[in-house]
Formats: sequence, structure tokens, C-alpha cells
Amino acid sequence: MLEVSGLWKQFAGKPALEDVSFTVRKGEIYGLLGHNGAGKSTTLGIILGMVEPQRGGVKIGGFDVGRERAQALRKVGAIFESPAFYEYLSGWDNLRILTSYSGGFNKSDAREVVERVGLTKRIDSKVRTYSHGMRQRLALAQALLPEPEVLLLDEPTDGLDPEGIHWFREFILGLRRDRGMTVLFNSHLLGEVEIMCDRVAILREGKRIHEGSVRDLSSEEPVFQVDLDPWEPATTVIKAHGGEVLERGKISLPPTADPAALIAGLVGAGISVRAFTPARKSLEDFYMEIRRNGQVDPNAIDR
Amino acid sequence: MIFFEQLRGELRKLFARPRTYMGYGAFLMLEGLILFFYKLDKGKREARALLEQNGLDFGTFYSSLSISFMMILLSMFTLGSIFFALVGGDIVAKENEDGNLRLVFARPITRLRLLLVKYSAVMIYTLSFVLFVSITGYLMAAAAVGFNGGLFVLEPKMKIFSAFPEWAEGATRLGMGAVGIGISMITLSSIAFMFSCFRIKPSSAAIITLTILFVDMILQNFPFLKPYEEYFVTYRMSAWLFMLEKHIDWAKIMESYVLLGGLNATLFIIGWLAFQTRDFKT
Repeated sequence: MLEVSGLWKQFAGKPALEDVSFTVRKGEIYGLLGHNGAGKSTTLGIILGMVEPQRGGVKIGGFDVGRERAQALRKVGAIFESPAFYEYLSGWDNLRILTSYSGGFNKSDAREVVERVGLTKRIDSKVRTYSHGMRQRLALAQALLPEPEVLLLDEPTDGLDPEGIHWFREFILGLRRDRGMTVLFNSHLLGEVEIMCDRVAILREGKRIHEGSVRDLSSEEPVFQVDLDPWEPATTVIKAHGGEVLERGKISLPPTADPAALIAGLVGAGISVRAFTPARKSLEDFYMEIRRNGQVDPNAIDR
Repeated sequence: MIFFEQLRGELRKLFARPRTYMGYGAFLMLEGLILFFYKLDKGKREARALLEQNGLDFGTFYSSLSISFMMILLSMFTLGSIFFALVGGDIVAKENEDGNLRLVFARPITRLRLLLVKYSAVMIYTLSFVLFVSITGYLMAAAAVGFNGGLFVLEPKMKIFSAFPEWAEGATRLGMGAVGIGISMITLSSIAFMFSCFRIKPSSAAIITLTILFVDMILQNFPFLKPYEEYFVTYRMSAWLFMLEKHIDWAKIMESYVLLGGLNATLFIIGWLAFQTRDFKT
């Protein structure tokens, strides 16, 4: 459904993307994971034809974005982090104007979408009176008009409260379930990607350093936050149990290791164990792991 | 059909912004001030002296049409140009600055079409603004000095001197002149529009446009450059005044408007090329 092939892009002589490729299949939710500046938004910009790549290209539904942008984007909806609407207009006027750029505005379709995203009561209010969550709902409504087959989401849950994040996530999962929507999901939040996506590519400094199923991310070694005193002798005990110190206060254990045995070993060695809690891996931990394990793509970070 | 729906949306955006209305408000105030000075005894005395020195009857030519002409002449190239430069400079650059273009570019509209929609909106704004100023100026003057009377035109720089004692002919000539200055001012809006298409702040686009306009006006009035006045844009933009001559020289007027039309098209194409080759990061 969405093919990104060999994208290269430089800004002012600095590489932003280097040979980035991936394919999103129909009905799949594909995560593009990476820190700020990793190249996710540049990739999205190229997919939408807002940024011209030096090399490579993008096809959506078989149409080349570079040569047939209008056809390629006909069935695409997009949501950005902090979407900028026309603040001085109502939500309804914003929908009307943005949809007119896709070929026409249909009132009954718009009313239905507004109801689905839960904005019916406030759709005639000026956007400047909207909360962040309402703006994100309006962004979702505009992305769903006219009915898209591909949704591009750029950090859509940033700044939302937990309830908003949950609502948004369920809505997107519902779209995939009910309509077979294909979704490209840009995020720097590993947890979000784990919950939402089927497959994921990780970008770092403009290079794709990993691609695989989300299971690959969670089947790596478990990580723990620990508070141990004294620290130096504790590291010897951790290593003796097959563990690894990621940083002071953060360790990983092989999936076969027993955390209880390690705690007993630490206590036995006279080390005070104040805290020992499972931690979610950060993106940085994942980078470190794939480096350590040599699971690095041909577009490797150390090239 | 879709183009008109897009244009309607663009006009909705344009006319929903308070900034767009600042110009209308400012001109109503200016018109009120000019009328106030005309109604003062000193203003009347000076108008009488000017008319009688030229052998014209004060009762006929101290009129709403003559006052409306003076309002347009005095204000459009000075105060009016500020608002045309602001709106033309905002039309693309402001949306880029505010981030609105990201949502627009997620849509299957070409950049050329988007600019055509925006440029059409700028042209409509410019023409409607000039017509608004002309009509309100006339109505306010008519309320102050009465509807009747002829039209007296004096513009020494362009060597225009004419008098139309009949209201109907004067009103027709003033109406033609208003449409003419509206078309002339599109060139100013086009300069601002072109700069707005570059990677530039909206205020910078407006300031550069006004700088070009004023430098052109200053140089055109420089005695040494008088023989070359036809090469200046502001001279060509003043071609509307020729519609107020007793005998209209259409060839002279058309020459200026064809040149201005060509200039407008060139400015649009330069703006489009700059816009087309830009990257818009999300």
C-alpha cells in the first residue's frame, strides 16, 4: 500500500535521511520509531510531497508521489503533532476549507465524522477555544474526510492526557479493525508503538537501524530499575548472574535468569536492595541492545 | 466548480481575520477626516479659490464627486498600499509561519493550484477594497455636501485637468477611475504576493513591497529621471487618471495596463517557482 524506497535527503549539507526504505502492507499499522531529529518527520514530509528527496521515492497505492502526487494522496489522511488550524474560524469551517482541497465537501459525511470523533457540540465554536484534545479530535476528523485508505500519524498523542491517549489509540485500532485502514504511525514512544503497531522500523540519525515485528522489541532482555548500596560490588554480583549494567540504577537480565535469585545473591553479598522494579525499555535501551547483539541493518549507525 | 469552492474557502479565511478589516476601518476614519476638513470654512475658502482661479463655478464643482476623487487620489497610493502589502504579504507566508500549510499539503492539491486560489483571493480583496473606499467615500461626501454637482479633476504630476459639470458623466468617469485604480493596485498586491511565496516572514514581505513602491515613487518624481517616467511602475499604475481626461486616450491607457498585466503574470510565475521548489518540513 505504501512503499518507501531508498530515500536520501540533506538539509544545508547535513544528512537528514540516508537510504531509508520500508513497505507498509494494506491493513497494517506500521510504526516509525525514533528520537526527535531521527528523520521521521522528514520521511513523512517526503511521503506527502512536501519535501523533495535527493534520491529515492514513495508510492502510495501504486501511484508515485513525485510524479502523480494528486492521485497518490487522494486516499490519504494525515495528522500532525500540534496540528495548526485556522484559529479564528470554527471547527466546521476548518473542515470545509481543508476538505475542499481534496475535491469537495459533503455535509452529511462531515456531520457523521464529527459525531464519531465526539465534537458535535463544539464544532461551531472557534478553534482558538479548543483544548489540545479537541484539536486532536478535529485533526482526526479532517484526516477522515474524504474517506481515506491510508492514515499518516505524526506523533499524534503528544501532549494528550492519559484518557485522550487511550481514546485516540482505541479509535485508530477501531479504524483498522472495521475498515482495514492502513496506518503509518510516527512516534518516539516505544510503549505506544508496542501497543499499536504490527511492525516497526527504527530510525536514528536518518538511518534505518532496525525493522521487524513488534514482538522483536518485547522479546529482548527484560530491564529493571534498581536502587542498590553499595553500587560497585553489586555490579559484580549482577554480572555473575548473567545480567548487564546499562547505566547506574538500570540493569538487564537474560530472559532465562531468575530476578529473585539475583536479589537473594545481592542480599547475601551484604548489599542493601532498596528497589528492584521491572522497567519499560527506553528507545535508547533498544538502540544499545541492537548494537550489542549486532542486529543492525545494512544502514547501520556506525557506518 | 471545485476551484470556486476552494476560492470561497480562501475568501472566508481572508475576511474572517480582524487584520483584513483594519484597512476598511482606517479608510472610513480617513474619509471622515477629509470630509471634516472640506466642511471647515478654511477648506471651503481654499476650494472656492482653486475652482474660481480655474474659471469654474463653486456651486457646481464643490461636490460629492470632486471630494470623492480627492479622497481616492490622496489615500490609495499611501494608506491603501499599506493594507494591500499586508494582505498580499500574509496570504502565503503567514500560513507557512502558523503551520497551516502542513494540513493543506496533506491534501491532493498542487502547489500551482493552491497559489492560483490564493492569488485570485488577493485580486478580489484588492478590487473590493478600492470599490468599498470609492463607494463609502462618495456616500459620506454626498451626505455632507449633497448628491448633486459635477466632477473637477486636477492632478498636475500626470498633467490632468478636466471638469464634468453633469453629474451623470462625472459619476461615470469617477466609477471608471475607481475600477482603474483597483486594477492598478493589483500590481502592488502581486509584488507582496510574490515575496510571500519565498521563505520569508509575512511582515518582511510587506515591508519589502512598500519599500519598492516608495523608492519607485521617489525616483519617478526625481527631476533628473523625469524623461524616463514611463519606465516606473507607479507611473503605469497612475494610468487610471487618464480615464478622467476630457478625451480618453484608450491606447495610452491600454499600453499601461497591458504592461502591468505582464508584470503581474511575471511576479506570479516567480512566486510560483520559488514556492514549487521549496521544502516544507512538517
